[in-house]
Amino acid sequence: MDAAYPPFTEIDPTGKAVGFDVDVVDWIAKKYSWQVEHKPWEWAAIITAVQAGDLDFVASGMTHTAARAEKVWFGLPYYSYIHQLLVPATETRTKDAVLNSGGYIAVQLGATSDEWAGKLLQKGYNFKKLGLDSYELAFKAVLDGRAVGVISDSAFTGPYFKKQPDVAAKFRVVSTIGGDVNYAYPTRPGDYGLRNAINHALEEIMASTDWQDLKDKWSI
Amino acid sequence: MAALAEFLPYILSGVTWTLGLVAGGLAIGFVIGILMAIGQVYGSEEIKGFIHAYVWFFRSLPLLVLLFLFYWGVFPATGFKLDPLACSIVVLGLRSGAYQSQIFRGAILSLGDAQLLAARALGMNRLRAILHIVLPQALRISMPGWSNEYAIMIKDSAITFALGVLEILTRTRYVVMATHEPLIPYFFAGGLFIVMTYAGSKIVNVVYERTKIPGLVGRL
Repeated sequence: MDAAYPPFTEIDPTGKAVGFDVDVVDWIAKKYSWQVEHKPWEWAAIITAVQAGDLDFVASGMTHTAARAEKVWFGLPYYSYIHQLLVPATETRTKDAVLNSGGYIAVQLGATSDEWAGKLLQKGYNFKKLGLDSYELAFKAVLDGRAVGVISDSAFTGPYFKKQPDVAAKFRVVSTIGGDVNYAYPTRPGDYGLRNAINHALEEIMASTDWQDLKDKWSI
Repeated sequence: MAALAEFLPYILSGVTWTLGLVAGGLAIGFVIGILMAIGQVYGSEEIKGFIHAYVWFFRSLPLLVLLFLFYWGVFPATGFKLDPLACSIVVLGLRSGAYQSQIFRGAILSLGDAQLLAARALGMNRLRAILHIVLPQALRISMPGWSNEYAIMIKDSAITFALGVLEILTRTRYVVMATHEPLIPYFFAGGLFIVMTYAGSKIVNVVYERTKIPGLVGRL
């Protein structure tokens, strides 16, 4: 996991891994009496870590994409979200006007918002991409006036705005980008046993009341 | 702010990891550096050629590239399965060895040939002359440069976040995500780096003052 994606994965003050994905994995581990170690790993190298065997699977808000699916096996989708273009609340321009403004659009480096910015640039929009270490910093860039907008995903934005209503009041969603996408837990190709076990457990928890309880706990 | 204060001990506990990286890297680099410096000054042309290539390889590549190259490439290919911390220490040491070799080489060359010739005239063989006459002086002369290598290593250790090593910078990033406070955790981490750099340099200076050859070189 990359403990830098609240509320799916983060750390508490003692350094213990917490989050929605952490709780789901702990639930699955309890079902199978597994001993799970939530191992922090840099996001950019996390898929390589699964392929190399340093990690058995990733539970850290990972989007199922075609490019990633060439390297890992994704399990059942467990959460859907959509990408959004957010601008300051005082911004009156349309989505196309913002994306053609020539200004900076902030994204999280290496995230799917980064990929979307690339696709929009290829479509001919006229903006400059400002890749930052986190969505947190991407939103700050807009508040500081260093970017005219931010491409975020609703999986982060929703809980973030619930936790930071003062920040939420300073933004508005001008448009969604693309269609719904899903989070899923990737395992190593060929690891049928682990993938099937996780899928089976996911079906069980998603059909139970524990699922909504966890979603309420983490405000997603 | 109160919530942020709860996380500061977690960042502080990264100091142990950072100091471990630095100590391990400097120790490995010291051994490599001494051997290579002796080889470059007194060795055959073949030895000098190998050392030259080693030094330029490790001084040319960015540390991040070296970490990935060794962790995902060299070590697995040679059958070594090192965890991220061990790999980081080894790579920091290999790289530091290249830089330390030049520090020690400069110090040995600054002594000139007179010391070695005098030792040989007294009946010492070449190896004993180098070990008992040249090196003890060269190590004292090299301390100012070596102190600089320590300061550089402290900061280089932060790059090992790329392999998920839980040093100060990785922990700070996690705290930023968990608290949504992007600046203060980094200021705190920066303060820790300043304290460690200053304290370490001061210790080296104390050792240098107690062991320096009177009249030969100035203060750090």
